[in-house]
Amino acid sequence: MRVAREHFHNLKELPKTEQLEPGSPLCAGCGGLSALRLVHQVLGENVVWVNAAGCMTLLATFPYTPMHASWLYTTMGSAAAGAQGVRDALDILIESGRLPAEENLHVVVLAGDGSTLDMGLSATSAAIHRQLDFWYLCYDNEAYGNTGFQLSAASPLGSLTATTHHGATQRKKDIFEIWRAHRPPYVATLSAHDPLDLAEKIARGKELHGPKLLLSLAVCPTGWGFDPALGDEIAKLAIETGVWPLKEAKDGVVRHTYRPSRFRPVEDYLRPQRRFRHLFAPQRNEELLSRLQQQVDAYWRDAT
Amino acid sequence: MVDGGMRKLLTGNAAAAWGARMARVDYVPAFPITPQTEIIELLSDWFGDGTLRGKFVTLDSEHSMLTAAGAAAAAGVRVFTATSSQGLVYGLELLYTLAGWRVPLVLVNVSRGLSAPITLGPDHNDVLAARDTGFLQLHAETCQEVFDFILMAYRLAESPAVSVPVLVNLDGFQLSFTREAVELPSAEQAGRFLGPFQPLHPGFRHSRPVAQGVAVLDGATYSYFRYQLHRAVENALTEFPRVAAEFAETFGRSYSPLELYRADDAELILVMIGSYATKAKAAVDRWRAAGRRVGLARLRLVRPLPVAELRRALAGRRAVGVLDQNLAPGLGGILFQEVAGAVAGMANGPAVMRSFVGGLGGKDVSDDEFDHLLSTLEAARPEDPPADVELLMTQSEWLQVARSLTVAGKEGGDHAGSS
Amino acid sequence: MIRVRLHGRGGHGVKTAGRIVGSAAFHAGFHGQDAPVYGAERRGAAVASYAWIDRGPIRERGVIARPDLIVIADETLLADPASGVLAGAETATALFVNTDRVEALALPDSLRSRVIAADLTSRTLAALGRAAALSASLGAAAVRLLGAVPLDALLQAIRDELTAIGVAPTELGKNEQLARDVFALLQPLAFADTGKSLSLAAQSAPAASERTGGSMAQVGYEGVMRGTPSILSGGNSAARHTGAWRVQRPVIDPALCSRCGLCFVQCPDGVVSLDAEGYPVIDYDHCKGCLLCQRVCPVGAIHEERETRAW
Repeated sequence: MRVAREHFHNLKELPKTEQLEPGSPLCAGCGGLSALRLVHQVLGENVVWVNAAGCMTLLATFPYTPMHASWLYTTMGSAAAGAQGVRDALDILIESGRLPAEENLHVVVLAGDGSTLDMGLSATSAAIHRQLDFWYLCYDNEAYGNTGFQLSAASPLGSLTATTHHGATQRKKDIFEIWRAHRPPYVATLSAHDPLDLAEKIARGKELHGPKLLLSLAVCPTGWGFDPALGDEIAKLAIETGVWPLKEAKDGVVRHTYRPSRFRPVEDYLRPQRRFRHLFAPQRNEELLSRLQQQVDAYWRDAT
Repeated sequence: MVDGGMRKLLTGNAAAAWGARMARVDYVPAFPITPQTEIIELLSDWFGDGTLRGKFVTLDSEHSMLTAAGAAAAAGVRVFTATSSQGLVYGLELLYTLAGWRVPLVLVNVSRGLSAPITLGPDHNDVLAARDTGFLQLHAETCQEVFDFILMAYRLAESPAVSVPVLVNLDGFQLSFTREAVELPSAEQAGRFLGPFQPLHPGFRHSRPVAQGVAVLDGATYSYFRYQLHRAVENALTEFPRVAAEFAETFGRSYSPLELYRADDAELILVMIGSYATKAKAAVDRWRAAGRRVGLARLRLVRPLPVAELRRALAGRRAVGVLDQNLAPGLGGILFQEVAGAVAGMANGPAVMRSFVGGLGGKDVSDDEFDHLLSTLEAARPEDPPADVELLMTQSEWLQVARSLTVAGKEGGDHAGSS
Repeated sequence: MIRVRLHGRGGHGVKTAGRIVGSAAFHAGFHGQDAPVYGAERRGAAVASYAWIDRGPIRERGVIARPDLIVIADETLLADPASGVLAGAETATALFVNTDRVEALALPDSLRSRVIAADLTSRTLAALGRAAALSASLGAAAVRLLGAVPLDALLQAIRDELTAIGVAPTELGKNEQLARDVFALLQPLAFADTGKSLSLAAQSAPAASERTGGSMAQVGYEGVMRGTPSILSGGNSAARHTGAWRVQRPVIDPALCSRCGLCFVQCPDGVVSLDAEGYPVIDYDHCKGCLLCQRVCPVGAIHEERETRAW
């Protein structure tokens, strides 16, 4: 089941202009880069990216950058505060006539799950609370990827990281709900597998003033352990098994923008990934596999 | 309301706020911390009632506050902010970052001792933890200097030869909450000295994109940018006299990086920073009245360190004492090391140097302590064995401390490992 | 002292190969050091690692500017000046290149006589089923060329280092056999072992002037814009040709293509563009070879081809 889209109905309607040049040092098949590229195409060129430490920091590595748009690397813990400074300065300059209004930019934080869910959360919570007019794009690859894939608050239960010998023992922190509890105008999950859903959500967000979260699952061949060619299939399995719900919350009201008509078993998503290999071999971890399935089932039982 | 052009009783905090007001700052990101709060409360009022145009915004931490400050300065507005103590060290990462961005802004630090133990009284361990960040550092002795230094700080920060952020330090309580008369110029006069902000960076705009603060992973290129920052900070040594001359011409008050007080023929020189220099001047006067040749050298500029001035000022002296209102465990006084480094290798350097630590956590430096310090200098001889750093604390203060220890159930000492 | 510098692309196992050299030297009773170089680069990008071996303590750290032996896992690095493969090569005793077409290598004539070539990729592919898992074969080649390190120390090093990176016990034997084959294939370089120092026979200490590379730079203040770590030439990353990262090349058959645009939409690096008729065109200068386009193509119009390179 898919909700009706108003802005984008087929792939041909997606913007064709590339906002990012190739030649970045990111891994081949990077799911975060996929999401960033699509989001940037729909947002357009009037953007200043405010970056927190993570894989994407390597995009702008002196003297090269794939970005035509502006960029400011801040810190790991305070990208949202950087967005505040840039947004406020642009407003001041435009209001006082020092900058023509047509020079205005969308201020967009670009951060990974590590920064987003933990270190940068205080700064982000405060920016949402202040109703700062900004976007926040989180590429969630479910670990500290840039440092070699250590446990983050986004690492799913059971997943192997470089710092979880037996797999993560906690559930993934629910940053969508943490954002939503602040009642910002718009919060959405995305997947590069569904570019029309992604584009539609950005178009919806564009009409709204205030903090807007775009939370994209970023499949990570390097950290998750799969052939980069399978990136889109893994992303699709995340959606079709119900592990990664596509949804949005406008002024706090949640709506799922896609609900699989028949959910595939969660195992189908886990099995191709090396980080879940220990759940299947040398013997199946039935207890954990059924818990993971139950968590997804319980989520969708309550889903609106 | 007509701005300024008057003499007014102001706390150091109010003088700082007036400095920002007269600089017509566009943007103040803020976070409250004792003893800095009065500064941001006043500025909040002035943005609120329209005296200042632009924006005042409360952030969630000093770390965020400094990020917003730097980002806004990078985007092209004139930024002011203020903090103290724990706040300064909580945001320390950003001090390095903002200096690396080469953005001009002014940060006031109201000095306060660092935890643990948590305390409120002033000392300089907070501000000196920031000495290697690439911020310029100006240290005020009086409320007038607080105000004047802020105007001068913007001129230095916004100069193309410098273009780094500036920290103006005032001592908590001793200046922050102390009122004294401050000459406030008229807005017109202030505007003549400090014109509108002319950003040197391209800012962020649709027609002229730029990537700022990017990663530099190559060691040689990294060295280049760090060295450029060093040269920029050093350039303030050349810029300072120019800015000070113009300041003197406009306002009639004249500042050098190193203030010398009755030092011309002094055999003994005391070196220090901050508001307790006022008490040091009184001590110098007492000793001069008794016919002893003592003087004071007070650093207004700590970064860049005015090494040439220090060497000139300390050449040929019989003894130099440095009073540090800070303590670097395992090293001693921080300024002592800097001053000793400045005069190292001089053919006619001071014959003896002694290190004193006093006034930690707002503790008084009493007349007795100044007298003890100067007597120690007077008695010091080059052939003496090397002297340790000396903690200034009077016997009556120590008895009071001992009483508190007893009250806390710490009867007697466990002397394990002590010597 | 013998200095070994290994070059490859992320994913080749160059770091582990360097560790195999260091570890083999250690097991053989020598003093040794090994170290990888870290940067922003990822799987497919140029990477390097270092190993030092001597009879006495190694008094070096960091970069090997003047290697005695250069080991090159991927011949395409020779055509990439940014990779620094040939830095200091003029005083090297030997350059080992993993290739099956040594005569076609992009090399200055002055170095050609010092090149030792072998096709490790085919051997690795045959032994392990994966062409890029070169750590054992590269390490074995380097150790064999050193001459002074015996086979048993090499095999011990391979077991240690591959176990440390999680190679399954079942795979260790295959890697050991591969290493034995490479060890037998190559002839050691002449070396001199005095009991106090170890060196390659052809090694000569560079003159002092050569070593410093001349005088020190004098850098002055250069102004705010130039002296700030910012980039004014946005979009310039296209100057970096990440196409060399590819192992397999995606190839579009226009006769089968339905012009759906999915490959254009899904390419993470945006290296698929659409021509005037809506047909996708791949920018091979930059395509990193993830082959995601091949898997998303609904009509099977994209197939993969092995890059015509040694690895």
